[in-house]
Amino acid sequence: MRMFLQFQKAQSVRHLGLLDLQRTMQRALRRSGLPIAYSKGFSPHVVMSFASALSVGISGDHEILDVLLTRDVPADECLERMNRVLPPALRASRVVPADDRHPALMGMLKQASYDIRLEGGGAQRIADSLEAFLQQTSVMAIRRTKSGEKLVDIRPMIHELRVAQRTQNEALLKARVSFEEAATLKPDVLIGALERFAGAQADAVRVHRTGLYGVRDGQAVPLIDL
Amino acid sequence: MVREKIDALLDRVQKPARYTGGEMNCIVKPWESVDIHYLFAFPDVYEVGMSHLGSKILYDVINRRQDALCERVYSPWVDMADLMRQTGVPLFSLETRTPARRFDMLGVTLQYEMSYTNILELLDLAGIPLRSAGRTWEDPIVLAGGPCAFNPEPLHAFIDAFVIGDGEESTGQTIDVVRECKRSGVSRQECLRRLAAIPGVYVPSLYEASYHADGTLASFAPIDAAAPAVVRKCLVQNLDAAAYPEDVIVPYTEIVHDRIMLEVLRGCTRGCRFCQAGMLYRPVRERSVETLLRLAQRQFEATGYENISLSSLSTGDYSCLPRLAHELMQRFEERRVSISLPSLRLDSEVKETLKETQRVKKTSLTFAPEAGTQRLRDVINKGITEEDLISSVHDAFEGGWSSVKLYFMMGLPTETEDDLSGIADLAQKVVQQYFQIPRGVRARGLRVTCSAACFVPKAFTPFQWDAQDTLERLEEKQRFLREKMRIKGVEFNWHEPHVSFMEACFARGDRRLADVLEAAWRRGCRFDGWSDQFKYDEWIAAFGDCGLDPHFYACRERSRDELLPWAFIDAGVTQRYLWRERERALQGVTTPDCRQGCQGCGMQRMAESCKKHMGEAGAR
Repeated sequence: MRMFLQFQKAQSVRHLGLLDLQRTMQRALRRSGLPIAYSKGFSPHVVMSFASALSVGISGDHEILDVLLTRDVPADECLERMNRVLPPALRASRVVPADDRHPALMGMLKQASYDIRLEGGGAQRIADSLEAFLQQTSVMAIRRTKSGEKLVDIRPMIHELRVAQRTQNEALLKARVSFEEAATLKPDVLIGALERFAGAQADAVRVHRTGLYGVRDGQAVPLIDL
Repeated sequence: MVREKIDALLDRVQKPARYTGGEMNCIVKPWESVDIHYLFAFPDVYEVGMSHLGSKILYDVINRRQDALCERVYSPWVDMADLMRQTGVPLFSLETRTPARRFDMLGVTLQYEMSYTNILELLDLAGIPLRSAGRTWEDPIVLAGGPCAFNPEPLHAFIDAFVIGDGEESTGQTIDVVRECKRSGVSRQECLRRLAAIPGVYVPSLYEASYHADGTLASFAPIDAAAPAVVRKCLVQNLDAAAYPEDVIVPYTEIVHDRIMLEVLRGCTRGCRFCQAGMLYRPVRERSVETLLRLAQRQFEATGYENISLSSLSTGDYSCLPRLAHELMQRFEERRVSISLPSLRLDSEVKETLKETQRVKKTSLTFAPEAGTQRLRDVINKGITEEDLISSVHDAFEGGWSSVKLYFMMGLPTETEDDLSGIADLAQKVVQQYFQIPRGVRARGLRVTCSAACFVPKAFTPFQWDAQDTLERLEEKQRFLREKMRIKGVEFNWHEPHVSFMEACFARGDRRLADVLEAAWRRGCRFDGWSDQFKYDEWIAAFGDCGLDPHFYACRERSRDELLPWAFIDAGVTQRYLWRERERALQGVTTPDCRQGCQGCGMQRMAESCKKHMGEAGAR
C-alpha cells in the first residue's frame, strides 16, 4: 500500500531544506518499524516522495509525504508509529492509505494556500491597496524557472487573496494560488508584486503554507482527500 | 524577548539549523526540576561539534542523572556571532535557548589548540568574565576537558577547573561537588578548592609558576593545601561497563560524521612516537562483542541511521573484529544499514562477506604511512612497512577500488631530503601497482591523493622535547616536495604551515600564553582552524604585544632536565619512558607493540588490565 502522511513543518524548523527534510523523514520511517519499501541498487533508500517540496524559510501544516509500504497497515497504526519517532516540530496529523497504483500526488497538485504575515510600516500600505490590486485584470511579474526568467501574468493564478487580520504593525494575508507545473505562483513573487503595487515594503515576511489542493468539478479539494 | 530576537536572527544567517535545536532525541528537562544545569560547549561549529563522540557520551552521562540537565552550545559562526553582539543576544543553549550565564556549570571540550580563541569568544558572547579571577557565583563554574587538557597551561587563566582523562566518571564527581557547594552556600573559592580534591581535577588558580631568566619554567607548585602536587588522569578501568549513549541525537542538517559511532576500544598499544592520543589514552580497553551488538541495535532503533562506523584509534586492532563485523552485517543487512570497516587487517573471510553482502560503495581507501622511508618510519615507530602498504594497495586495486588516500607528515625529527623524496617514490609505486592490474580487471579512474601535514610536537609524546621545523624550513620542504610530486594520477595536498606553527606554540605552551591568547582574540582572531579565518599576522602581533617569541615555544629543543609546564600531570606514561623512547627514536630503533610484551610505559601503575597482564607475564 501507499501511505499518505500529512504532517506539519513547524516555524522552528522552517529553515530546513528539502534534503534535510528527506533525510529526517527517511530516518523516522526506518525507526518506525513500518514495513517500508527500499529501492534496489547499491545504496538502497526508502521509496517516498513529498507531494510538494517546501522552500527553505517556509513552514506548513498540511504537508504530505507519500511512502510505499510492502504490506497493508491500518492508518491509525501508521499514524501512531510515526508520531512516536518524529520530532515534535514535524508531527503528523493524518494518514490516508492509498492504492499502489495511485497516481503521484505531485501531478494532481493544482493549488496551494498560504498565510503571509507582513510586519512593519509597509504592511499597512500593502493591506490598504489589496482591493485595488485585485481590481487589475493583469499583473505582470517575473517568474524564475530552471530555463531562465520569464515575464508572466500572475493575476489568473490568484484564486483568493484577502486581509485576514490587522494590527498596528502587522497584516496577515490569506492567499490561495496556482501550484502546477505550467503555472506556479510562488509566495515571494506574489509578495514582490504586492509591494511594487503598494509602493511600500514590509520589514519582515513570514510565509506559512496552510494547504495543498487538487481540483474536482472546478472546486479546490484538499489533495489528500482527492 | 530574547527568544524572538534569536528567531529574527535566524532569517539572516547562513545555516540557521546550526542554532535551532529540537532534533530527534535531544533532551529537554524542565528547568526547575533539577539542581544542576550543565551547558556543554564545543568550541567549533555545530556540524563539527555534533560529530564528536565524547560530547555525545557526556551529554548522555549528565542527562541520565535525576538531579541535573545538560544542554548544548556550539560556536556561533562569525556571521551569527556578529549579529548577536549587534542585537544584544547573549550566547544561548540549543535545547531551551537559555542564556549560557544562567547555567551552573559550563563544560568546554578541548579537541584542538586552534579552537582556543573560540572559547574566549564563547565566554564573551555569554557575558561571562573571560578570566576565572573575575567570576562570581553569578557565573557558571567553567570546566574543560579533552586531549588538550593534558597541557592546560595556556588556558589556565580562563578555566576554573580542568578535568583530565576519561570524563565518564569524573564529570559526575564535579557535578556532585558543585551541587553540594551551591546547596550549602559556600564561597566560589571554597567550591574550587573542593573540586581540586577530586582525582584528575586541576584547578589552576591554586598553583603558581615562576620562570628563569631564559624563559624556561623554574618552579611550579600548589599554593593551597587542597591542591595536589601531581594531578593523575582519570581512567575508566572497565570500558565494557562504562556508560554509552543509546538515544543519540539525530541532527536535521548534515554533519561531518552523520552515522552510528560504536567505540569498540579506547587506547592504542602501537606506540607511534608522534601520536599524542596513542600515549594519552592508554591502556587499551575493549568493549565486548555482545555489548557492541546491543548498543548497535539500540542506537539503530533510536536513530534510523543508515551506517555504522567502528570508532577508535586503531579499530583494526580490535581483538574480535571479524566476529563483530560478521554479526553486524548479518543483523543489519535487512535494515539496510551498512557497516564501515577499517581497510587494513581484515581477514579474507570478512573481505569476502564484505564483497557479497555489503556491496560497499568503492569510494576510497586510506593509508597512513606517515613517513616516506623505512628509516624514518622506524624513527617514529610507525610499524607499517612498504611491503604491507604495497600489498594492501594491490589487493584494493584488484578488488575494484581505484581511489587511494595516503597521509604523510613532514618536518618529523631527523627528516632528510631522502625521506621527502621517499614520499614521492611511495606514491609512484602505488601508481605502478594500479597499472600492473590488467585493464579489464582494474576499475577505471585512478586517483591517488597524498596529503602531507606539518609535524607538531605534542606534550606527553617522545618528541615533546624536540624542535618543530621553522616556518622557512617547512616552506622550503613543501616546495621541494611539490616538485617531486608532479606524478600523473597523483594529487598532492599540503597544509598551511603557519597554522601548524601556532598550534605547536600552544601544544607545549606555558601560562604566559594566556595573555597571548587573549591579545589575539582581542585582535579579532577566532576560528583559527578555518583557513579562511586564520589571521597569522594578528597572532604574531599578539606575541609581540606580550613580549614573547613564538619560536621559544615551537622551534626550541628542550633538555632532559627542563621543567616542562605539563610535568605536574600524571598521564600514565612516565617521563622516563618517553625519554627512553626518544633516545630509541634517534637511534632508529623500533619498540614493539606492548601486546607482545610490556614496554614499561608506566601504565601498569594505574591500569588494572596492565597489572593483570604483568601478573600473567610474571607467572610465566
